[in-house]
Amino acid sequence: MWKRVPIACKLSAAFAVIIVVVLVGMDYVVGLYAPPESAASRHWITLIAILVALGLACVISRYLAGRLIKRPVDELLSGMDRLADKDFDFRLDEDRGDEFSALAASFNDLVTILSSSLTELKKSQDYMRSILESSADIIITVFPSGKIRTFNAGAEQALGYPRLEVIGQPIEMLFADPQERRVAIERLQYTDAVVNYETRFVTKTGQIRNVLLTISRLRNPAGEVIGTIGISKDITEEKRLQNQLIQAQRLVAVGEVFTSVQHSMKNMLNACKGGAYMVKAGLANDNRKMLVEGWGMVEEGISRMTDMSTDMLKYVKEWKPRPDRVDLSRILSDIHRLIKQTAQDKGITFRVILSPEIPPVVCDARMIHSAVMDIVSNALDACLWKAYTEEETPEVVLSAYPGKGEEVVIEVRDNGCGMTEEVKANIFSPFFSTKSKAGTGLGLSITSRMISVHGGEIEVESEPDRGAIFRIVLPIDRTDRSKEDIDGKKGPGS
Amino acid sequence: MAKKVLVVDDDENTVKFLSAALEMNGYQPVGAHNGQEGLEKIKSENPDLVILDVMMPKKTGFVLFKQLRRDEQYKTLPVIMLTGVAEVLEDLDSQSGDTMERPYDALREAMRKAIREMKEEGLIKPDQFIDKPIDPELVIAKVKELIGS
Repeated sequence: MWKRVPIACKLSAAFAVIIVVVLVGMDYVVGLYAPPESAASRHWITLIAILVALGLACVISRYLAGRLIKRPVDELLSGMDRLADKDFDFRLDEDRGDEFSALAASFNDLVTILSSSLTELKKSQDYMRSILESSADIIITVFPSGKIRTFNAGAEQALGYPRLEVIGQPIEMLFADPQERRVAIERLQYTDAVVNYETRFVTKTGQIRNVLLTISRLRNPAGEVIGTIGISKDITEEKRLQNQLIQAQRLVAVGEVFTSVQHSMKNMLNACKGGAYMVKAGLANDNRKMLVEGWGMVEEGISRMTDMSTDMLKYVKEWKPRPDRVDLSRILSDIHRLIKQTAQDKGITFRVILSPEIPPVVCDARMIHSAVMDIVSNALDACLWKAYTEEETPEVVLSAYPGKGEEVVIEVRDNGCGMTEEVKANIFSPFFSTKSKAGTGLGLSITSRMISVHGGEIEVESEPDRGAIFRIVLPIDRTDRSKEDIDGKKGPGS
Repeated sequence: MAKKVLVVDDDENTVKFLSAALEMNGYQPVGAHNGQEGLEKIKSENPDLVILDVMMPKKTGFVLFKQLRRDEQYKTLPVIMLTGVAEVLEDLDSQSGDTMERPYDALREAMRKAIREMKEEGLIKPDQFIDKPIDPELVIAKVKELIGS
């Protein structure tokens, strides 16, 4: 019951009790020693008694106040100190009954809440840290000043630096070329993150590591930039394998070129060798017909070698279309005029179909003429290579029509021998030829380049024995882009 | 009577100079310009020996050759094959496992496969492979060796 009385009441009661006790006590003492008739001394004694009672009451109250107030306050203060030291393993006594009980209970609740939220925070912090640490990627955060702030285990592993050695050091020390970091940071000014920026780090031992760096800004909850975080993936091994592959592919390509040139040369030399044999025999036997035929073969061999050498040169030289507004129907009519007779001699019907809506195209007329001509000649050859049934006649149809959007299509359709998937996949590769004796294997490869410098492309549809369709798709006006293409494709000669 | 030799090659020049060489050496040459024509001429002319080019349109030399070998009548007809890759074929013939691989050369690969298949089928292989560019004198020498003058 007493415990529930407020401290102020306790103190007042104590004060009153002391005063009453002292006064009664004094009265008794006065009654003993002072003669009742001496009113003056009675008054003095009463005054002294009151003063003594007050003094005693003050002393006792102070003692009681110390007991009742100072101790709990001290306990609270020491609790605060322990809290500041992140010690949550204590609770205040809530069972005192006075005002301090409520305070202690609130304090204890506070400690509990703080403790559990700090535990949560620590857990999630540990989790985040373990993610950072167990990542094999190189994760480094950097202060706005450019000094390294954190350096994860992946970074230690890949770069060979213990973190204590690099934290606080300028991040540039890790870049093989510090300029590359500056470029990435410059890019970061325009965007939130620079993703997969290919750069090179240098390890403690001076080795170069190729990495893909993704760098983003770190902001505090107020949105202020507090540095950057860079996550890099070590791609040195991939890069090495890639280079190895490129090297191997290059060797294969060179091998292919040599083999192809050798195949072509064998056929050309065959004509020369056979021709020379006939010339020799013609001379020995005084046979003029043989001599003439033999010499014709030698000349043919030489001219084919010349063609090949010209084609090879054409293939490697720089391409610069001279664009002009060109009426495609004129090119097609011209090709029709040039080819008609040859086709007829070979028993092939050659037709040209012109759509009236073809707009003028900005292109190099000479190059487009040459490209279409090449495809038409191939179509004629394809007809020669097929054994036609009686109901079918060899036919090549050249046409032009508007394509999707801003495009025109030039189509060459034949009903000749067609192509297997394998041949189709290779027709634009240099030195690939199905005409073992006649072609240089460069024709279509040159043609496709002529079209691609115009920003166009060639589509092919074909099946063995079912003929083929070649479609040259040309943009109507690509003046600006084709200029770009030319600038971008400047060869070593420029 | 002169022995008859059929030259099958889509290259007109080869047919021409080989025919000239054969004629000068006392053989009777017959020419054909593709596999189909070659087969017809074999049947109609009944040659003593065939010189056959491998790479030809319509019917390749190998297709024609296999067709011949499967036919009882032409099972042992002497055949000289003209190729661009004779050295590889000889490697395969000697069954040496250490032939240098040139994976980029699809033609060689196709030839090896064709020969392997012929072997598996138990067909008698061509009597001789001659590489291009053809030396007419070498061809004549081989013809003499195979069927005499």
